[in-house]
Amino acid sequence: MKQKPRVAVFDFADCEGCELEIADLEEEVLDLLEIADVVSFREVMKEHSDDYDIAIVEGSIMRPMDEKRLRSIRNHAKILVALGACATMGGVNKIRNQWMPDEVIKEVYGDTNLKGNELFDVFQTKALNEVVPVDYYVHGCPIDRDEFKSVITAIALGKKPDIPRYPVCVECKKNENICQFELGSFCLGPITRAGCKAICPTHNSPCEGCRGLIKKAETDCVKEVLERYKLSYEDIRRRCTMYNYGRKECSYDE
Amino acid sequence: MKQIVKTITKKDFSTFVNTLIKDGSYDVVGVQAKGKCYVFDTLSSAEELRLNYDVTILPPKKYFLPQYEMLLKFSLQKPYEAKETITDSPRIIIGVHPYDIIALEQTDRHYFDQQQDNFYKKRRENTLIIGVDIQNVSERSFAASMNTNTTETGFDLLLTDIGTSYAVTIGSEKGEKLLKKYATVKDASSTDLTKIKTARNAVLKKYKQKMKIEKKDWSSLLVANYEHAIWEEHADVCMECSSCTMVCPTCFCYDVKEDVSLNLKQGNRTRTWDGCMLKDFTKVGSGEVFRDEVKERYRHRFFRKGNYLPARYGFIACVGCGRCGSACLPDIADPCNLINELAHFSSENDPGKYFIKEENEVLEKGIIHLPRSATIKNITHFNELDSLFEIELDDKKPLGHKPGQFVEISVFGYGEAPFGISTPPGNTPIFEIMVRQVGNVTKKLCSLQPGDKIGIRGPLGNGFDTKSFEGKTLLFTSGGTGMVPMRSIINHVLNPKERNKFKDIIILYGAKRPKEITFMDDVDRWKKIHDVQCELTVDRCEPSECWGGCTGLITTLFPKIQADKLDSKNTISIVIGPPVMYKFVIKCLQTLGIPDDNIYVSLERRMKCGVAKCGHCQINGVYVCKEGPVFNYAQLKQLPEAF
Repeated sequence: MKQKPRVAVFDFADCEGCELEIADLEEEVLDLLEIADVVSFREVMKEHSDDYDIAIVEGSIMRPMDEKRLRSIRNHAKILVALGACATMGGVNKIRNQWMPDEVIKEVYGDTNLKGNELFDVFQTKALNEVVPVDYYVHGCPIDRDEFKSVITAIALGKKPDIPRYPVCVECKKNENICQFELGSFCLGPITRAGCKAICPTHNSPCEGCRGLIKKAETDCVKEVLERYKLSYEDIRRRCTMYNYGRKECSYDE
Repeated sequence: MKQIVKTITKKDFSTFVNTLIKDGSYDVVGVQAKGKCYVFDTLSSAEELRLNYDVTILPPKKYFLPQYEMLLKFSLQKPYEAKETITDSPRIIIGVHPYDIIALEQTDRHYFDQQQDNFYKKRRENTLIIGVDIQNVSERSFAASMNTNTTETGFDLLLTDIGTSYAVTIGSEKGEKLLKKYATVKDASSTDLTKIKTARNAVLKKYKQKMKIEKKDWSSLLVANYEHAIWEEHADVCMECSSCTMVCPTCFCYDVKEDVSLNLKQGNRTRTWDGCMLKDFTKVGSGEVFRDEVKERYRHRFFRKGNYLPARYGFIACVGCGRCGSACLPDIADPCNLINELAHFSSENDPGKYFIKEENEVLEKGIIHLPRSATIKNITHFNELDSLFEIELDDKKPLGHKPGQFVEISVFGYGEAPFGISTPPGNTPIFEIMVRQVGNVTKKLCSLQPGDKIGIRGPLGNGFDTKSFEGKTLLFTSGGTGMVPMRSIINHVLNPKERNKFKDIIILYGAKRPKEITFMDDVDRWKKIHDVQCELTVDRCEPSECWGGCTGLITTLFPKIQADKLDSKNTISIVIGPPVMYKFVIKCLQTLGIPDDNIYVSLERRMKCGVAKCGHCQINGVYVCKEGPVFNYAQLKQLPEAF
């Protein structure tokens, strides 16, 4: 019998919520174990091995030491999967890229002398693909469990996963939600990649764009819609800062 | 037809609904409030009903073509196991407005057309529609302008609020039986009948949206303005979110996805609503997108409603519900506004009428989604990308195809893709296809071995009618993978039984590179036949490649045609190749004096369902999977989207 691929799960700067989503697959985790051996997954097991084929990596890269560790993971793994918004695009960790690292350290730690401490040696936040090549992306904050499963099965079957390139509105309409704009709110759904089953608007919370923008918020007809709903460009810029600070529309292959 | 009308007091109607709910024989669905809007949902009590609603967010279409509907379950462990998964229970939908009833009748026309969709049919048969006359009109509705504000058909029962009672018009035997079994009704008096008319008329003044032209004039207005600047102007602010198509009661296109369980043991094939406003809608395996510009997609949506479906089925595929107008953030989706805006302009430009293949009888009842099991017999690799597959149907029944037809091949877990058949017709379950590795399905196919099982649907589409070519000289021009279906017809006409029915045969074949020439054995054989002229060329040839033949585009072969062989008026020319090839080759053919009527082509589009249901392969209003892939050029050139 063919040997099962060995999988390792790692994290960088993040809340570990996406890893928790994997753990939350519950009995389906057993299905996963039928096709793969999990050799490292700090959140759910004590064992660790550096011998793995597939690395599933959560979190953003904040420091030279992270970068070094990620490169080492990349060297070990045949396939690298970016898990969740922090890993796929920097996500909330990029909010701080509005300021220089020195300013951020000073704001949080005041005058404490942290010189020479590599734990506090931060640069501007990077997504994984700004450091190493990424083979597969599981988008979202947190990830959608079904999409995680479809990416994993695609890897196992050696096919390209079917990740939507259309906006959240498509799934939101299928769920028969009242449009956030009609409710007097506003929403990044029209310019955000679908695949989350429009979970936020379905629970009456506007889309924050955690799966990446598929259109440029600066141009692409957003202006006309903002005017029609009496919203300012500043509103949408602020909303985009949450997950998409400094990011243009995502590339087709992500 | 005179319809029977009863009356039921509102109190008795509530009792009727509550009895139905309690009885449990049906899933009782009705209009209910969701915030300030309305939706169709399962009722737990008659009190939830809001029969004076204006419009629901989604039409009742969701009960017949659900947002996500599983079609097949398959096994990835057994060699071949797949079954259809129709699971639907009896249902009653209460409170459907006339425009939505008419939209369902239109959807029936499409899904019951020729190859009936058994899933849709089952849901329709399982469902009773209790309609209700409109009492309040949504801000964007223009149903009165579309004559869809009332209806005489399409319901089992129809309610009209006439004060303390509802008038109940009986529309079907099923409806009558339901009423008899569960409700207390009286015969309607002539006063009641007058009240129905009064109630319907009173609503008319509530319409704010009105169309400036007659519904019947949509089609000509659109056709005259095919190249109008309005499409681009509106497309510039379109967000491409496809909300307009998602909420539309007459949009019925779908995409098909495949999901596999985490242990890779089984999976399912599911269809889900798709929208022609989305860019990937027309994308084929090789990556080509056939309606690339937003303008083209935006225009397509209106033409589909106002021109393509009217030409095919005889109705405007818009019922004036106004949902798209409300759902569109930049407010460019409302057909009433667009038509009114266009009505200000007139244009000389007329791209011509769209041809539709004549209706045949219903071909096959109810098995359009389930593939037949087949076995890969042999695989021959032409080069690193292209391989020839010999396939045998496991039921050993002949495939029964015409040259030019195609099959949909399933590799469970990976999906389904269309392939041209490259063997001539014959009384055999064995046939060949060529596979070029471009997407998930083709790559997986190429990793399979002889003996492995795959699924086949087909033969599908319109092939070549070689009978009509008899007595003529045949000129075959193919480029690249165009040789795949071309080989089928060439070998058919070269069959000794057929050969004497045709005059000379000329074969022109071009490939990008020498190594991309496929079917070399056939080509060598054709070259040796004395009354066949066979010419080859390659676009370019690296010094490292061995090639003694002609170099240059396919058009360089035309001067080689032996002039004495070519009686242009009596020559049939068949052209199959990549999209870019047609324009140049057809020019050469016209220079030779071959009439457009004598030119046949075969086109590639995204043929997802293969049975003219899912909508992806349309060229203007023509389904490539049904009217094509083989087309007569004289007809096809009328379609602006063809080349």
